[in-house]
Amino acid sequence: MAELQRKNVLGEREKSILTKQAGVCSGTGMKCDTDSVSGSVSQRACVYCGARVVLNPITDAYHIIHGPIGCSSYTWDIRGSLTSGEDIYRNSFCTDLRETDVIFGGALKLESAIEELMSKNHPKLIFVYSTCIVGVIGDDVDAICRHMSEKYSIPMVPVKSPGFSGNKSTGYRMACDAIMQVISPYKTDKRTGGINILGDYNLAGEMWIIKNYLAKIGIPVVASFTGDASYDEMIKAPSASLNVVQCAGSSTYLANRMEEEFGIPYIKVSFFGIEDTASSLLRIAEALGNEEAREKGIRFCDKETGKIQDFLNMYRSNLEGKKAAIYVGGGFKAISLIRQFAFLGMKTVVVGTQTGKKDDYEIIESLVDEDTIILDDANPAELEAFMKEKEADILVGGVKERPLAYKLGIAFCDHNHERKHALAGFEGVINFTREINESMNSPVWSYIKECGL
Amino acid sequence: MKTKINSLVSLNVNPCKMCMPMGASTAFYGISKCMTILHGSQGCATYIRRHMATHYNEPVDIASSSLTEQGTVYGGEKNLKIGLTNLISLYNPEVIGIMTTCLAETIGEDISGIIERFREENPQYKDITLIPVASPGYGGTQYEGYMAALNAIVGKLDMNTEKNDKVNVVLPPHSPADIRFIKSAFVQFGIDAIFLTDISSNLDGGYDPNYSRLPRGGTAIGDIRKMAGAKLTIEITDDTTTQSPAKTLFGKYGVPYRQILSPMGLKATDAFYRLLSEVSGVTIPEGLMEERGRYLDGMIDSHKYNSAGRAVIFGEPEFVISAVRVCSENGIMPVVVATGSVFPSLKDYVGQAVEDLGVRYFVDGYAIMDDADFKEIEEAAARYGANLMIGNSDGRRIEVNLKIPLVRRAFPIHDRVGGQRLRMLGYEGTQTFLDEITNALLKVTETTFREEIYDEYYKGSGIDKNKKMVEDKYISDDMVKKTMEHPCYNCAGHKYARIHLPVAPSCNVQCNYCVRKFDCPNESRPGVTSSILTPEEALERYKTVKAKLPNLTVVGIAGPGDSLAENYPQVKRTIELIREYDRDVTFCLSTNGLMLPFYANELADLGVTHITVTMSAVDPKISGKIYKYVSYMGGIYEGDAAGAIMISNQMSGLRMLLAAGVICKVNIVTLKGINEHHIPEVVQTCKDMGVYITNIMQMVPVKGSAFENLPMVSNLEIGKLRTECGTIMKQMLHCRQCRADAIGTLDNDISVDLAGFAPEEKGNKDKGKKHMLFAVASKSGINVDLHFGHARELYIYEYTDGDVRFLEKRDVEKYCSGNAYCSEQDDKIAKMLNALSDCNGVIAMRIGESPKHKLEDKGIFSWSTFDKIENAIMNAAKQV
Repeated sequence: MAELQRKNVLGEREKSILTKQAGVCSGTGMKCDTDSVSGSVSQRACVYCGARVVLNPITDAYHIIHGPIGCSSYTWDIRGSLTSGEDIYRNSFCTDLRETDVIFGGALKLESAIEELMSKNHPKLIFVYSTCIVGVIGDDVDAICRHMSEKYSIPMVPVKSPGFSGNKSTGYRMACDAIMQVISPYKTDKRTGGINILGDYNLAGEMWIIKNYLAKIGIPVVASFTGDASYDEMIKAPSASLNVVQCAGSSTYLANRMEEEFGIPYIKVSFFGIEDTASSLLRIAEALGNEEAREKGIRFCDKETGKIQDFLNMYRSNLEGKKAAIYVGGGFKAISLIRQFAFLGMKTVVVGTQTGKKDDYEIIESLVDEDTIILDDANPAELEAFMKEKEADILVGGVKERPLAYKLGIAFCDHNHERKHALAGFEGVINFTREINESMNSPVWSYIKECGL
Repeated sequence: MKTKINSLVSLNVNPCKMCMPMGASTAFYGISKCMTILHGSQGCATYIRRHMATHYNEPVDIASSSLTEQGTVYGGEKNLKIGLTNLISLYNPEVIGIMTTCLAETIGEDISGIIERFREENPQYKDITLIPVASPGYGGTQYEGYMAALNAIVGKLDMNTEKNDKVNVVLPPHSPADIRFIKSAFVQFGIDAIFLTDISSNLDGGYDPNYSRLPRGGTAIGDIRKMAGAKLTIEITDDTTTQSPAKTLFGKYGVPYRQILSPMGLKATDAFYRLLSEVSGVTIPEGLMEERGRYLDGMIDSHKYNSAGRAVIFGEPEFVISAVRVCSENGIMPVVVATGSVFPSLKDYVGQAVEDLGVRYFVDGYAIMDDADFKEIEEAAARYGANLMIGNSDGRRIEVNLKIPLVRRAFPIHDRVGGQRLRMLGYEGTQTFLDEITNALLKVTETTFREEIYDEYYKGSGIDKNKKMVEDKYISDDMVKKTMEHPCYNCAGHKYARIHLPVAPSCNVQCNYCVRKFDCPNESRPGVTSSILTPEEALERYKTVKAKLPNLTVVGIAGPGDSLAENYPQVKRTIELIREYDRDVTFCLSTNGLMLPFYANELADLGVTHITVTMSAVDPKISGKIYKYVSYMGGIYEGDAAGAIMISNQMSGLRMLLAAGVICKVNIVTLKGINEHHIPEVVQTCKDMGVYITNIMQMVPVKGSAFENLPMVSNLEIGKLRTECGTIMKQMLHCRQCRADAIGTLDNDISVDLAGFAPEEKGNKDKGKKHMLFAVASKSGINVDLHFGHARELYIYEYTDGDVRFLEKRDVEKYCSGNAYCSEQDDKIAKMLNALSDCNGVIAMRIGESPKHKLEDKGIFSWSTFDKIENAIMNAAKQV
């Protein structure tokens, strides 16, 4: 291990890597939630990315990127958030700043862009993202948005997301602030008895799966943030009786603000895995004091769980004893994946996240077996070294990690924003299990073990 | 439903370009043992890696100096130096490309200065070559970034000027497979070449059990240094306006150069081989002539199919120019030639070829545009009738929107595998490319020609034996789906259920055939219902029925009076309530049409997608006979006046609905001796207006109505009328004349079965059960996963005989408001104790000894565990 570390781990990164040891608790020794180390080839993105992830699924919003074209091009319609209504969000609008704009300022360009947009289309809601150079040249995006918003009587919300101004989590917060700016004027004391769903982005229809479950047990959903969201639906959010938070990393901040400012309590839920899905549904009914929904929920979950038992037993025989590596965005997802693998009889040998917090890592440490490697903000060199050392059979990760896994002869499960099949709910358990098996037990791996011609 | 986005002058809508660092990174990937670092914020590197990784299906490692707020304000020198050190330590590269970004250029970083100081401070790295490139994202597109990097490499490197016998080859950013082709061509002619740069193996590597994270393929830096002493530079380029490394080498080191087009298409490939032959002195081998012959033969074989092609060619100038060449050689008319780059000379490059082909085929509508975005390209594609697109996968949205096939080439390709292997160069590469284009056109023809020709020459014509139902057109897919699932609009909708909600008792018209009567569950006709519901009751009924009938897709409001009479506010409220509860439901509504002009637009806005108007005549005289009276705007009208009002309002209302995209059905009640011969005229009028379907119905005689003695039209007569009118437009043949409170499928009205349905009785749950309260420290809300001491809030659970349920969340802070117990030196534990006074136990991931004892003093047990909350509580409850 020492040898391995010297070759593959930078000195500044050593404290962000932990080996689980039996009977020892490292306490809060893990270094995390800090800036990436320069030159380490971090897998993280930037503030703008975080903000765009959270806001982009709002289907009828015009998302204007105030900045150079790259920021717009690289984020255009690359995520799998689905819509049941408008699809304006699948376009990428950009002020396409050029050299002269950088010299003379881009404010005029932004103003005339909004004017033209207003004259040719009928936006209900506009988000204006500030990128790195806007943060430096100092265009007063706030003032422009305020002025234009008054002129046209629609919300135009500045999103402060220069890439350098923090990390992806900063971007989540900026997005949550933008959402609050949209919905705060609709604050009400009226309670509808329905819930808001926070932190689900309707990737591969996951929001629909969750909403269908809730409809089946008789719990109305007022608004969703932000999977398949629309402006008209969003502004009803303050009348909900409860917020449920699915992706804690991106949306706990929003839940807290809504609790403080609108008096809507929240609970955290997870729809990854059978157990989490079932207990989350019941938890929602319980938090609402809706006895009928709870009863229905119990029946519904029993039925759904029963339906997939045979399936799981069949697949378990193929998966038991295999070793998994996990490298995902947030701590919550990593934790739920460790548990899902354990449920399938698999062992997690390497686990890391881009933006996990200290207590996430503490939980991870308590969940995994001895000698498991735990990493924060890992880079390809570390992933390569530790996956090889631990002989992982499969990696769960994002798009950038996939080719690395393949080059190392390791199977791969896409747990990212581009995936085309749902991983949430009971359906998700089936998809997840199948994908794990299909990649890990593909015949192609048998050929890489044979040497040459 | 979906908003059409128009192109905008001052806003780029869907970019047809990327930025300079992308191209620069690609160029450096062609150098052996080279790594790159982007001086800027972390996102730039990550986004570029993501795009390259999905296109090439290779690991792509690009470092970032990860500039932060501080670096942005005080300069990023420190970040960049640390970044270089770390990159060297992890990858041990021989060369590092240092690229700037928007951010670095805007804050004015002095990269050369930083490099100089880095060298002074780190003499141990003296053998590592550092090459800076200015590549601000706002400075140009990826092609310009690529060329800027090549220029920086030959311009800034310490070169070896000793004369050698090598030939420099400057390559454009073709696919790794095409670069391999070019390399093999030079080998074929025995030319010792240095490639600037060679991405063929680093971005398309094989599987190797010993993976090297440092890319080892590509051109060695030592070879690149020798370019200054080469005997010739061959620069392969279609665009001679962008900065040229060949000219740089000539200017600085006097290396003569030849510029030549990418060997794509017949003539350019001919020229390429002629040059190789000239440079090497080797005659063109026979095998190549055979290859050429096969390609020429292939061009002939597919020329007629190709002549139907009207292509959109988009992307970087280099690609666009060469793809236009292939198309124009093969008679594929480029109708839209577009680049996202600022490249006004595009017309000079491609204008003549496009115009010449247009003259041959008499096509004069086409567009050549630079600085274009995809929205403009899409509009031009539609305007000029394109049937084919050629370019990168960012064109996929247009492919879907306009239903024209996209032949994927160039960078990036995200939605297919094998971007790195796509071929376009040489006779065989062009053949592969051309076959794909031809086959994309053929696939469309082969799958549509039967239907298209049938539709054009046969369907609906005088010789059409099947001419019965006129199909509907111009209806959106969503509406088609809703209509297909609507039992009253489509026979196939039979398996879907509808519910009619009786919320509108009053009526403004008295039809001569109707007596509105309640409480008569045995009658099944419009106007009949068992009870009237309030909007709230209607919602409850909907919920109850939806739970029992998951195939319920349609909510209808069919009176029992007229939906738009006095009760309209209730109707509106009902629709709003149900829409709020279930946004997928299809709403339909029926009306006599009298008030329709007043509410038509509002109904459409409410999301009522299907409206039935009962209009049995379009002649005021006939219409007047149908109504006993009409109550309108405070007056009572009879006879012709009533008929005139009805018809004029029905027709203008229908027109408004149709304009708003509502699917309209017209019910025509056949009244013997009154309108039976007039019905085809009514149907024809409906057809002309654009009504979706008409429903010719029998009159059901009702005792007490004015027409109680009017003879009923026989089934046979109705059948004949429907067949006759079926030649005019689509007819509803399956009407069951439903009750105003019907529920279920058309064939199975279960409203009576469901009458009186009430929510299930709740059991008496508090029969002497013991219950306990547990406080749980949880971060995730799913598991016990938080220290007791870290908890700012506690989840309170109720345990009752094996049953665990969530009660509430308690904010610990709230329990100390001004309480003397929570004085300053007192700690969080005190607040906790206050918050937990009614609990039997506390469950946390960990809990300190001191709080544990304090809890015990209060009679509260505590447990440390990591488990699912429910399991933890069950275990704890057992132990109490």
